[in-house]
Amino acid sequence: MPGTALKFRLPDSLVLTDLISTLRTAFPMVEEPPISLARSYYDSFDWRLFQAGKVLWRETARRQQRLVLTDTDEEQSGEFQPLSGQMPGFHRELPPGRLREQVAALLDMRVLLPVADVGVTEQIYRVLDEEEKTLLRIATGSYRGTIPGSKGSIPLGGWLRLFPVRGYLKDLDRVQSFLGTEIGLTPASGGILELALTAMGTRPLDYSSKLKFHFSPEERADKAAKKIHLHLLDTLEQNLPGTLADLDSEFLHDLRVAVRRTRSALTQIKGVFEPSAVERFKERLGWVGQITGPTRDMDVYLLDYADYRDSLPERFRKDLEPLHDFLLAHQRQAQRALSRKLRSKAFQELMMDWRTFLEAPVQNSPQGVDGALPIGDVAGKRIYKIFKRVLRQGLAIGADSPPEALHELRKDCKKLRYLIEFFRSLYPQDLIDPVIKTLKALLDNLGDFQDMEVQALKLREFAHEMLREGEVPADTLLAMGMLVDGLLNRQQRARDAFAKRFARFAGKGNRAAFKSLFSENKSSESLA
Amino acid sequence: MRIIGVYNIKGGVGKTATAVNLAYVSAAAGFRTLVWDLDPQGAATYYFRVKPRVKGGGERILRGQREIDRVIKGTDFERLDLLPADFSYRNMDLVLGETKKPAKQLLRLLHPLAEEFDYIYLDCPPSISLVSENIFRAADALLIPTIPTTLSVRTYQQLLQFLDGHGLAKISRMPFFSMVDRRKRMHSQIIAEMPRHHPEMLSTSLPYASDVEKMGTHRQPVGVSSPTCLAARAYQSLWAEVMERLP
Repeated sequence: MPGTALKFRLPDSLVLTDLISTLRTAFPMVEEPPISLARSYYDSFDWRLFQAGKVLWRETARRQQRLVLTDTDEEQSGEFQPLSGQMPGFHRELPPGRLREQVAALLDMRVLLPVADVGVTEQIYRVLDEEEKTLLRIATGSYRGTIPGSKGSIPLGGWLRLFPVRGYLKDLDRVQSFLGTEIGLTPASGGILELALTAMGTRPLDYSSKLKFHFSPEERADKAAKKIHLHLLDTLEQNLPGTLADLDSEFLHDLRVAVRRTRSALTQIKGVFEPSAVERFKERLGWVGQITGPTRDMDVYLLDYADYRDSLPERFRKDLEPLHDFLLAHQRQAQRALSRKLRSKAFQELMMDWRTFLEAPVQNSPQGVDGALPIGDVAGKRIYKIFKRVLRQGLAIGADSPPEALHELRKDCKKLRYLIEFFRSLYPQDLIDPVIKTLKALLDNLGDFQDMEVQALKLREFAHEMLREGEVPADTLLAMGMLVDGLLNRQQRARDAFAKRFARFAGKGNRAAFKSLFSENKSSESLA
Repeated sequence: MRIIGVYNIKGGVGKTATAVNLAYVSAAAGFRTLVWDLDPQGAATYYFRVKPRVKGGGERILRGQREIDRVIKGTDFERLDLLPADFSYRNMDLVLGETKKPAKQLLRLLHPLAEEFDYIYLDCPPSISLVSENIFRAADALLIPTIPTTLSVRTYQQLLQFLDGHGLAKISRMPFFSMVDRRKRMHSQIIAEMPRHHPEMLSTSLPYASDVEKMGTHRQPVGVSSPTCLAARAYQSLWAEVMERLP
């Protein structure tokens, strides 16, 4: 029932029995036995369901469990799925059905984590007609909320909820207006989950891997740079527990992206810190990139495994199974090594040193040559410089250029993208968005070109390693060979598409946009 | 969406009880289920305590002048909805006869509900008519309650002849024994023989049970009024068998 009031907060002063007797004077009602409901809400670490306007919970009542997926107001009828046993983590472990399909599309590779528990003992009344047919259900109860894993619950107040029955909307109307005019209740919006999270001092969407900064052009460059680095360090640390526990592959991915962005920011936002400090931290953070690499490699193959398998003709798909076993075993091995290193003293010291460096207040006399300059100038200058470099490199690439030329170009494009994303708040959104979009399209193409090659070479490596580790069926190696062939074909397609993508990036319109946004002689008037 | 017609040429064989109880089991299992009470007598509608009346008249539904999803009523059970009977359904043959493709009207009407329901049970009036031909063309399967008597076996064969003669040989047929009284010799005999000639017979049979008869008093599916009784269990296993056999 979109747009209709189905939830009412009961004032603490209201006596429930009085409310029910008043309702009874106007509507024939029967009382059902009270029912205890325990709801556990689930979402991914980055709130993928909530972001899409959905809420998922497991409900236990009368020893029966079911999953419910609704809109965030929790009033739409939604999807139901009986559940037996443990709460699944990944969408593929959910019982098949529409609920799983919807959750799968939103969740992708992310695991479901508990976000809030809510309990209520509800008294349900059925409003009847003369045939004793149920026209509407009225439920009252006091809700309690708990943060998963913590002790003690927080009272969420008394609530009255209406459950309409299809085809009896007039009866719903009558009860709604009675509750308003006779009882003086006002309808509440939002779902129980939001209510519970607010009461418990948290809120949905408290984590996102996206960059959101708000800079003003006059801000000191070293200050702005520290803000960027601190945000990235927070992101890194937020993803650490999930990475250590290997809850899903995205924790490590986000952690690695944060490290990569940090290293890029260290070198690309030039001259804002003391050069020796920059060198030191760049190197130490490079080590984090290295130790996290092997696990990520295996994660990538496992994530793509189904696509790999399905790219083969049906009768060869089974041949690939030993590869899957190999990937699983090596992922576990790499993950164990990674956990050890992330728990090491060296890593902890790095985190501590880096935070200490970032949290130290900036001094009046800056440590880097450009530290005290306004960030608007520093950002525009750097972005435009890298842009010109990318243009030069790309224009020099012809049909005969070696793959390395494209790989180099990709590196600089990435730097450019990170820089623009760090500083996008300095520029008008309607101008900066298309610039990012064109750059992303080029990067996707370059990414495909390089990744396909890397993956193909890595598969060859795997084949040799599998042979070293024991017997591998010849059919498995042949199937892997077919994958290599497919990957190299895709790489060639990416190569073929490059010229067109780059032409769009290097086109007049995009060049003019870069110039007007970032070029020095235009920078002051073009800043937002 | 799967459409299951509960049908027999003969009346009084337990069609309505089957449609209502199977639909209840289906909804309880988590599927969005609809019962369309096509019988002007409106027994299924009565069981669900809904008024046997379609707003604006059932004829307008059949003529496509009123959207079908606007006259659906929620029952007292989660995920189980009802398209109520309407007294005008007694003239359904005439109304259907006036349309362009008289034998395919029901299918056209049900089409928009595909997104909304997983299973639709049609509680069909007895006899062979334009209405039943519509049902045969709309349904994925015909569930045929059959009392184990010589006469019932004969009507089943008549139905098969009709289906084969009207290009409906493809529809999945699921006859099953209904109102079985094992104390009667004829029942036991036919139960032993008929599946040999008709291997399509479902293996579940429904007992002749007072719990089913009492549905008229309780006005509830047996799964609600007496969830552990033999009949309730039989409907459970009948549903499971139908689900397995559905094309």
